Amino acid sequence: MQTTKHKVGLLFFPAFDWAISPDHPEREERLLYTRDQIMEEGLLDVPGIEEFRPEVATDVQINRAHVCVPSVSNVITESHRIAAGGSIVAADLVLTGKVDRSFALLRPPGHHANRIVHGSRGFCTINNEAIMVEHIRHTYGKNLRIAIVDTDAHHADGTQDIFYNDPGILHISLHQDGRTLYPGTGFINERGGPAAYGQTINVPLPPGTGDEGLLYAVRNLVLPILEEFKPDLIINAAGQDNHYTDPLTNMNVTARGYAQLTELLSPDIVVLEGGYSIEGALPYVNAGLLLALAGLDYSAAREPDWSEDRVRQSPRVTETIKEIVGQLQEMWHTRQDVDLAEVFGNAPIFKRHRRIYYDTDNIMEEQVEEIRMCSSCSGWRSIYSGAAQGVSLGLGRTTMIAAVLVPWHACTKCRAEAEAKFQEAERSGRFRHVYLQDVERDIYRRS
Amino acid sequence: MYIAGIDVGGTNTDAALIKDDVVVATGKVPTRHDDLVESTEAALETILAAYQGSAPLELHLSTTLSTNTIVEGRGDPTAVLAVPGPGMRIEELNLGFPVHILSGSVDHRGREVAGITAHEVQAALDAAQEAGMAALAIVGKFSHRNPTHELQIEALVKEATQKFRHITLGHRLSGRPNFPRRLATSYLNAGVAGQQALFVEMVKRLMIRGRNIGKVFLLKADGGTMTLDDSLARPVETILSGPAASLMGAQALTEHPEGNAVIVDIGGTTTDISVQVAGEPVFERQGAEIAGHKTLVPALFARSIGLGGDSEVRVISPKDGPSRLQIGPKRAGTPAALGGSKVTPTDAAVVLELARIGDVNRAREAIADLGAAMGLGIEAAAEAVIERFTQQLVQEIEDTYTYLESRPVYTISELLAPLDIRPRVLIGLGGPAEVFIPLAGKAMDLTWEVLPCYKEANAIGAAASRPTAAVTLHADTALGRVTVPEMDYMGEIRRAMLFDMKKARAEAMEWAARKGESLGITSLGDIAIMEEESFNMVRGFHTVGRIFMIRAQVRPEVRRITERGKGETLDADYQA
Repeated sequence: MQTTKHKVGLLFFPAFDWAISPDHPEREERLLYTRDQIMEEGLLDVPGIEEFRPEVATDVQINRAHVCVPSVSNVITESHRIAAGGSIVAADLVLTGKVDRSFALLRPPGHHANRIVHGSRGFCTINNEAIMVEHIRHTYGKNLRIAIVDTDAHHADGTQDIFYNDPGILHISLHQDGRTLYPGTGFINERGGPAAYGQTINVPLPPGTGDEGLLYAVRNLVLPILEEFKPDLIINAAGQDNHYTDPLTNMNVTARGYAQLTELLSPDIVVLEGGYSIEGALPYVNAGLLLALAGLDYSAAREPDWSEDRVRQSPRVTETIKEIVGQLQEMWHTRQDVDLAEVFGNAPIFKRHRRIYYDTDNIMEEQVEEIRMCSSCSGWRSIYSGAAQGVSLGLGRTTMIAAVLVPWHACTKCRAEAEAKFQEAERSGRFRHVYLQDVERDIYRRS
Repeated sequence: MYIAGIDVGGTNTDAALIKDDVVVATGKVPTRHDDLVESTEAALETILAAYQGSAPLELHLSTTLSTNTIVEGRGDPTAVLAVPGPGMRIEELNLGFPVHILSGSVDHRGREVAGITAHEVQAALDAAQEAGMAALAIVGKFSHRNPTHELQIEALVKEATQKFRHITLGHRLSGRPNFPRRLATSYLNAGVAGQQALFVEMVKRLMIRGRNIGKVFLLKADGGTMTLDDSLARPVETILSGPAASLMGAQALTEHPEGNAVIVDIGGTTTDISVQVAGEPVFERQGAEIAGHKTLVPALFARSIGLGGDSEVRVISPKDGPSRLQIGPKRAGTPAALGGSKVTPTDAAVVLELARIGDVNRAREAIADLGAAMGLGIEAAAEAVIERFTQQLVQEIEDTYTYLESRPVYTISELLAPLDIRPRVLIGLGGPAEVFIPLAGKAMDLTWEVLPCYKEANAIGAAASRPTAAVTLHADTALGRVTVPEMDYMGEIRRAMLFDMKKARAEAMEWAARKGESLGITSLGDIAIMEEESFNMVRGFHTVGRIFMIRAQVRPEVRRITERGKGETLDADYQA
């Protein structure tokens, strides 16, 4: 007999036998105390909370969201496949109606992983949410409108990169201001590509933001935007490093704040991202989150060292948040009035040039991306990417690749052009590998 | 050496006498619920004629006393004093009994966060007395990591003027996590302790009534035994010992004690499916469930389904498909062949001469009616019933394995290389087993075996069972602390730097041995480490310590029994 308001499927996979390195924050111990808390609270005995076993994501599933260089198995371990596979199961549970909501409480995280993957950055190699989203659109319908709300303290630059020009996706990232924290991006002027302008929303929060500020932004910005976007599915990339005890960030959010956030957001699927206060935060945040997701009383889920004074948000921080939220509200309302030519130019191709650093693996990538401006679809893209390890020391040998991407709902013309580009790049001999990714037709080719 | 096994069931009390590894006598009397000792004694009498030894007889009892007390809600009124600390609200737990909440809290590593308050305890005791509570359960969240609060409350209770028949402390019952289960287990334990004490008294009287009875052991839900004295403190462990006895009987009697097997006990109303992997029975992950209470009582895994010889047989005719048979989950009643009014699978077996019981003509009449509804002749209808029963049984066995294989695991190695638990042998017992086990075995392409003397397997299992006990050692070198909750132990690690897995294992084995000693186990070979894990603790990029969890157990082993056919060989034994 179910006693919860919502039936919740839990994918708990702490990967007790995997670490990036023994002393790395992403190590065996990370979810140990979370397990202890969940087990001791008896949460898995609650009728209405059911635990499921993750599956192992396949190359095909991963290649819908990524171009891994040189290949999937070269850049990831089994642990990554299980984290992505667990996220996929979490989605299947909800979309087949087995549960109302699901929580993929697993590691390693993924939201810093871009479309092109040369290695690991920000503890992430492949993007769990993105792989899940592409699985969902493949299995349950390409017209599904999906909102991803990333509440990790770090900007979800990887997820933003993957869905930057995807009109089917709304991506909102709330994070500590990029001027004060890795990865140093996620400013309000990053608003998406020409085909999805305004659907990338970044909410940089000042250091010291607590429950009050985070929930203010959710109530006044995130919820109204969701209301308007009307997604078929809401995914919460739930990093837990906004917590006041997190060693890597400077935020003031509490377990109860996370639970309230979950209650307000009412996500269909929650996926754990970062969060490295493994004793002081994670056990309580995860317990609170699970309770809130199930619709149970979370008012007693509190950290042992919690005190009102410790987590109080300063008036200055409150003011700053109100200003940012005000600005973003305005930007959302006027997004369709923006002259895209002013932002992206009048040329048939919009080009962007980026340098991407992989801190975990010490790789520097240089990337040129070209988006075709198409009036019938979101336009095919080509990405030229060169990467080398240990560049700072001048040791690396650069690997150059080209990737041709065909978007969902591509028009015949774009598809044909992309195909021709793939062959041309292949013939040119300039690239170590050339990739063609046609996600809708599930075609993935590598030369 | 002679061992008498007695299983007190709902209807009958079965007895079996084994000498070394041979069954020398079995017997059966009706259970008298108003006087369990009386019927237990009567059952014992039926086998004592075969007892010719001079050494004292060892007695193994499997009783329904605790089970019935709990199921019928006849336990002593019990007050529960809980120290939940922050987390899930107790009101949300649907425990089914009131809890008195005290302040204080302990965290996941067993550190005290807030102390308890003496006057709150006093107020709770006043309230308990006011409400006429006879027993007390004291339970803290994370008390398996640090039992200090429970012990402090116990000390306060002992000083207080209020007196209780029994006090249970949560941490002593199990070293496993799960606060709600610890609450339920402690509550039930405290509630049945009074009746258990009376029962132990009666058994002791039985022992001195001029019989040469030596040690007395009680059967537990995990298929092992415990001493009479131990049962005074932990009576809740004797719940559900009946099904455990049957399963241990199967393990004692089977020709396939090694390897993987599925054990199917087909009864009149239900069928129990249990699983053996590499010769060991599979356990419930957290503990037994009884009368809606989820507990931490170690228990053998069994999936009970509503399918048996007396199940209801229905013809289902959907609008958009062919009609089909559905057997169970409800019980139809006595088979027609035995004087009942409804058709049952047993009647189908009688018609096909697969079973020779009751009145064939009555069975044929019942099956003929069913056949008419299906447009089939008598034999064809009977065959359809047998076939459908077998199909449903095979499906349930398959579902059981699917369920077990989908139980979550937390390491990559277990996920990628799961243990092979699939059966190679189908072992059947229970009345209808002779009919259905060969058919199911064929359908599943498995070697099958119908156990000899299945009717007494429960009593034989009781006799064949051996003591079990488990301890959980938790060591945290950063805190410099070792806890063994079952043994009431919390101590310091003197040289934390030198405390490693080897030390942790050795210490856990030592505690298990100490626990085993009280059960009369002397050989360390019977102690095994069942679970272990260890984690490096890193703070600020430096290793500050390690956490170890070891679960050591006196193994649930069963004596192998051979059943010599009753009749002539049994007579030979009488003469020996």
